Amino acid sequence: MNEPIRTVNLTKNFNGFRAVDSLNIVVKKKSFMGFLGPNGAGKTTTIKILTNLLSPSSGSAYINGIDVTEDPKTALTNLGTVVETPEFYPYLTPKETLAYLGELNGMNSEDIRRRTKEVLETVKMSDWAGKRIGKFSKGMKQRIAIAQAILHEPSVVILDEPTIGLDPRGMFEVREILAELKNEDYTVLMSSHLLNEVQQVCNEVTLINRGQVLRSGPIDELTASINLRRLEVRTIQETSGVLRKISQLEAVSDLESLGPRDFVLSLTGGDESQADLLAGLQGLGLRVVSFKESGVALENLYMSLINESR
Amino acid sequence: MIEITETVVQSSKKTVVAAPSDITQIGIVAKYDVLKYLRNRRLLGMIAIAALVVLLITALPPLLGNSYADDADAFINTYASSVNILVIIGATLFAADAIVSEFQNHTGYLLFPKPVKKWVLLAGKFLASMGAMFLVLFIYYGVALILGLAITGGFSVLGVESLLLAMLYAVAALSVGYLISSIMKGTTGAQILTFALFLFIFSIVTRLLTMGNVEPWFIVSYASGVIGYTTQVPYPTGGTATGEGPFATSSYIPDIGVSVAVMVAYALVSLVLAHYFFKRREMAA
Repeated sequence: MNEPIRTVNLTKNFNGFRAVDSLNIVVKKKSFMGFLGPNGAGKTTTIKILTNLLSPSSGSAYINGIDVTEDPKTALTNLGTVVETPEFYPYLTPKETLAYLGELNGMNSEDIRRRTKEVLETVKMSDWAGKRIGKFSKGMKQRIAIAQAILHEPSVVILDEPTIGLDPRGMFEVREILAELKNEDYTVLMSSHLLNEVQQVCNEVTLINRGQVLRSGPIDELTASINLRRLEVRTIQETSGVLRKISQLEAVSDLESLGPRDFVLSLTGGDESQADLLAGLQGLGLRVVSFKESGVALENLYMSLINESR
Repeated sequence: MIEITETVVQSSKKTVVAAPSDITQIGIVAKYDVLKYLRNRRLLGMIAIAALVVLLITALPPLLGNSYADDADAFINTYASSVNILVIIGATLFAADAIVSEFQNHTGYLLFPKPVKKWVLLAGKFLASMGAMFLVLFIYYGVALILGLAITGGFSVLGVESLLLAMLYAVAALSVGYLISSIMKGTTGAQILTFALFLFIFSIVTRLLTMGNVEPWFIVSYASGVIGYTTQVPYPTGGTATGEGPFATSSYIPDIGVSVAVMVAYALVSLVLAHYFFKRREMAA
C-alpha cells in the first residue's frame, strides 16, 4: 500500500450519475503516468479526489500510503498539484504566491528563497517574479501553477490537463517543463486529452472510460499489444474502381476514401501483415506513392479500447 | 479544541517536507489575507469611510449652529450611535466574499490541495477580517475620544465600553458574513445579502415584531443598540408605548446582558455553521 498513488474501489456519484466507478489505479514510484480518457471519463473527478477537492462516495484514495480523506494534512504534505487551470490571487506577485504556499507547506524562508529562484527559472518566469499576477496570460499562470506544484520538491506531482487552453507555443513550453520533470525524481500522474503529448512525455499510461480502468501499464507494452494499425495510402491512379477489392484484402477493415487517390484503412496484424498489404495493393495494379501509419500508436490503442468499451 | 501537530513525511527530495502546526498555519493565512486587504484597498477604503463619518459628526453641529455636548459621555454618544453602519460595511467588505471567492475565482484549486485544514483556513481568514475591522474601530473611537477630550476636557470611560460592545458586534456581524460566504455561490450575491440582511432585513423584522408588541431581543442588530445606549447616563430602561388601539406601537431598549449574550450566540453559531458548510463544500465545477 506504499505506492505513491493508489485508489481502491474509488467511486463518486453526482446526483445519480456515477462519474468514477470502483476505480483501482496504481502509480509506481518515479514513473510518469499518463491518465487518458474521453470527456466525462472520470479523470478530473479522480484527480480531485486524490487532491482532496472532492470526497469519494465510497472507496479510498492514497498518496504515499496515506488515505487522503482520512488524513488529508499528512497525505497532501508531500504532493504537488495543478488541477484544472488554477487562478491566482491577483494582488500577489509570483514570488509572494510561492512564499505563501511554501509557508503553508512548512518550508523555511531560506528554502523558499532558494526554491523560488530555481522553479521560476525552470518555468522561465524569473523576469516576472516581482510583478502582480492579476494581468498575467493563461500560459504564464499555467507556468506559475507548475512552479508552485514543485516548489517544495514533493515526491508526488499530479497534473490535470497541464496544457489545456494554451496556444501552441505555450503548449510547447509546458511540455518542455514536463520533460524536465521526467528527468528528475518525481512520481507524476498527468491527465491529458492529447495523446501525442502523453506518448511524448509519459512512460506509463492508464486509460479509463465511464469511470473504469480499460488498460494500464507501460506505454511501449500496451502499444505493442494492440494488434491494429491505421494506415494512410496514396496512389498514382484513381482508386474508386478498386476500393471494393482493397477492402477484400486479408486483414483489412474500415476502409475509407479520403479523395480520388487517397484512402485510409485499418489493418489487423503486425509488420508482416503491413508488408502483405503493400504487396496486395501492388498486385491490384496500384502504384503506391505513400504508405504510412496514421496517428500515433497510442491513438490506435486509445481508439480501439474506447470503441470496445462503448 | 485546537490541536497542535507537526506532520513530517519522508521525502527523497532535498527540501524537508513538514507541514507546520495548525496554529502556525492560521497565522500564515491571516498574514496573507491582511496583505489582501491592504493591496485591494478595502482596508484603506474602510478607514476613509470611518474618517468621513467622524468628519460629518464633528463638523455638522457648528455648521448648523448647534453647540457640542459639555459632557464627554454625551459627546461620544453620537459617534457610538453611528458605528453600526461601519460594522455592516466592514462585514460586507471583509467577510462576505472571504470563502465564496475561493470557489468562484478558482483560487481554491491552488489553496485546498495544500496540507491545511478547512477550519484553519477559516480561522486564519476570520482572524484577518477581525484584525482589519478592529483597526477601523480603534481609529474611529480613538479619534472620537480624543476629540471628546479636546472639546469637553473629559475622557469618556463609557466610550471605551461602547468600543468593546462595538467590537463584539463586529465579531457577530463578521461571523454572519462568513456563514453567508460559505453558503452562497457568488461573491456579489454574498455581499449584497450580508449588507441587506443587516441594513434592511433585520430592521424590517425588528419593526414588525415591535409593532406586534414583541421585544426583538434575539435580533442581533437590535442588540447592537446597546453600543449607543451604553454612553447614556443613566442607561435608559424599559420601553415606551405610543398611539392607541390598533395604532399602538411599542419601543424597547435592549438589555446589555441579553444583548451581549445574543451577539456571542450569533458569533459562535454562525462560525460553527460556516465551518460545517465550508468543510462540506466541494470544488465540483
